[in-house]
Amino acid sequence: MVKAKRKPLEEIADAISAYGKVLTVGCGGCVSVCLAGGQREVQELNAELELTLKEKGTSKTLGNYTVERQCNMDLLQEMDDMVGGYDCILSMACGAGVQLMAERYPNIPVFPAVNTVFIGVDRDIGMYEEKCRACGECVLAYTGGICPVTRCAKGLFNGPCGGTNNGKCEVSQEIPCAWLDIYERLKGQGRLDDILKLQGVMQWQNQLQRTVVQPKFEKRYYK
Amino acid sequence: MSNENTAGVDTDRIKKRLDSRKAKMKLSLAACAHCTLCAESCFLFNARDNDPTYMPSYKFINSIGVLYKKKGVVDRATLEDIRDVVWGRCVLCTRCYCPFGIDIPEMIAFARNICREQGVFPDYEEKGSIHAG
Repeated sequence: MVKAKRKPLEEIADAISAYGKVLTVGCGGCVSVCLAGGQREVQELNAELELTLKEKGTSKTLGNYTVERQCNMDLLQEMDDMVGGYDCILSMACGAGVQLMAERYPNIPVFPAVNTVFIGVDRDIGMYEEKCRACGECVLAYTGGICPVTRCAKGLFNGPCGGTNNGKCEVSQEIPCAWLDIYERLKGQGRLDDILKLQGVMQWQNQLQRTVVQPKFEKRYYK
Repeated sequence: MSNENTAGVDTDRIKKRLDSRKAKMKLSLAACAHCTLCAESCFLFNARDNDPTYMPSYKFINSIGVLYKKKGVVDRATLEDIRDVVWGRCVLCTRCYCPFGIDIPEMIAFARNICREQGVFPDYEEKGSIHAG
């Protein structure tokens, strides 16, 4: 799932400083699960903002609401009757949610309250690890299920590089060499031949905004 | 009148919310013919060995249907049961299909809204917290 981390309070307070009525909107999806922007975090943020404003001797009207998913227009539209009463929206969703919110309400400034960090896994409650950079060309089949784009500091497709040192990366002795891990995994599976296959240059697709249409829906969307 | 212990639940607020979408909710609940066609469109139903409690119709009848039947006069335990259905058995992927056109995801999202307003929602800080996805 998408993982996010709340922005520093000062940055959020600065973003909404010019507005009197602020609606903080949480998302019931990924950011709830990673404890960054769900209903509980919305209430916590508003409480912290209220305290900060009080310390500065000012006040604002702080509303709060949580939609089930900010990245879905059908679920977002329930806010239509609500947003008119506010000067700006503080979205606690991921970047996708913030943008859909801004698209839905183009006349109201929408500010992000979290930094969207990565696609990752839950290691424990409150602890998440990056696993995927959504490069659009998955190579996990030949790397033993270990992503070199995410794990290797250089994102090498044909590693390791000369900087690998006793199983660690030259960038830091704290970072395990992804390509050593790939080697060990493939060796354990008797698939070392895979590492010898030279992989071509990736056609990076993330320079332009991407859209995914599943094959069976192509007739519907491509006339 | 119900003899539910409604302490800690703002039943008037629930009733008000239910009234705001009464027509659609009533029609949706009346239109469900229990045909089970929605079941096949639910990936969780398929992934959970066709467990009938994962059928979209089951999920919306046992959430918004309960609130509607009890006119919002429910206790906290009932809201928590509804929470387990609408969050624990549904990811709100919005892919369920009803031949009668019932907007099941909208009904489930509506039940979630009502639970949220009452402070009943998943606690993801809890080990093994409920979420279907």
